[in-house]
Amino acid sequence: MRLFAASLAEMWSSACRRIPLSSDEAAAERLLAERGVDLEAPASQRTLELVLTAAAGPATERELAGEAAAVTAFLAALEPERAPQHRHHHHRRRRPRRIPVLTVGVAFAAVLALCGTAEAGALPAPLQQLAHQTIGAPAPAPSPAMRDQPATGRVTPGSAGTVTYPAPAPTSPSVGHQPTTPSASPSPTHTDNGHGTDNGRGRSSDNGNGGDTSTPDTPSPTTDSSTPSASSQGNGNGNGNGNGNGNGNGNGNGNG
Amino acid sequence: MLDGDFPQVLRLAAAGDAAAFATLWRDTQPPLLRYLWISAGHAAEDLAAEVWLEVAKRIGSFRGGEHEFRGWLFTMARRKMIDRHRYEARRPVSPTIDGELLDRPAADDTATAALEEISTETALALIATLPRDQAEIIVLRVVVGLDASAVAQIVGKSPGAVRVAAHRGLRTLRERLDGATVTSPGRRGVTL
Repeated sequence: MRLFAASLAEMWSSACRRIPLSSDEAAAERLLAERGVDLEAPASQRTLELVLTAAAGPATERELAGEAAAVTAFLAALEPERAPQHRHHHHRRRRPRRIPVLTVGVAFAAVLALCGTAEAGALPAPLQQLAHQTIGAPAPAPSPAMRDQPATGRVTPGSAGTVTYPAPAPTSPSVGHQPTTPSASPSPTHTDNGHGTDNGRGRSSDNGNGGDTSTPDTPSPTTDSSTPSASSQGNGNGNGNGNGNGNGNGNGNGNG
Repeated sequence: MLDGDFPQVLRLAAAGDAAAFATLWRDTQPPLLRYLWISAGHAAEDLAAEVWLEVAKRIGSFRGGEHEFRGWLFTMARRKMIDRHRYEARRPVSPTIDGELLDRPAADDTATAALEEISTETALALIATLPRDQAEIIVLRVVVGLDASAVAQIVGKSPGAVRVAAHRGLRTLRERLDGATVTSPGRRGVTL
């Protein structure tokens, strides 16, 4: 379709070229291409020639009034092309100044955030320990695994749905470190059956074997369905090996 | 037209010589203003300034003779004029023609002055009464001094269409000149 239109246009233009201009058209072409008034031409054509000559007349002062401004704009437009090297120098100078300031600012903000987190104790344990050693931040909390370890309860037979929690470790010297078993410890009410060895000088040393008739009052295993409580009462069976140091009054028969 | 001096002037202007650029400007600014006034009216001076700014930026890359330079410059002028028309079409404002520069023809005025005193402004005002495409082509051919093929490249038409439009414009002008009256600055009216 485009080729067809192009061939039609070519045919039309070649036909137009073959057709000679009419007298009016020739006069019009001469009017457009040449200046000057033909005195022998008809009056209407002379008038038209006068109009066209006037339209193409010399420049007026008003038309040339902006020469200074145009030259100034020309020089200003050339200025960016002439001074690209100066701009590069400016960039080179500015970049080293900006980058350290930015880096120092970011680093300072990061340190502040790290210190704040360490003071809040929210850092991971190794980092918190490091912060504790270096800047005196709080020590890291015990890990959840360690906190859960004493809380492994047992379901006591006969108490459906209740969990038996061991009591907290006693502060008194205890025998052994088995949290799930009651520890036998010497208590003030301890009744000691000892074997006294009297050497006749009124001093006796007693090595007591605790655990036979001792009834430990604290600590005692507690049975609780909600929270472990030290005031609850229960029956516990404790087997312990205790090394007790007790002061006992021994009644013995001594052979002095 | 600079004719033989043009290559030297162009080379110096491209190198940044202000005097050479001023020579180019003095030679081309009057026809540029007249063309833009015919096509864009009151915005002619603003558009001419934009065109020269564009010339200043790109003159270093221009290659060609004086006719090519004029064709290049008036092509830029026409594109800027079209942009202005599109801008004004989106934001219509009341048209205000610079009355100090040119007066539009007024058919009802009486004329008393002689034909020889017709000024450039009056002649342009008469041409401006033609349809825009015809007026544009006549100015490019008569005022700027381009031939039909160069004008055809600027306005995006074939040389034949340019000739036809120019002939129609001249015929219309002649018909109007037979009995029309044109108002000229400083006078009430001029009978042509």
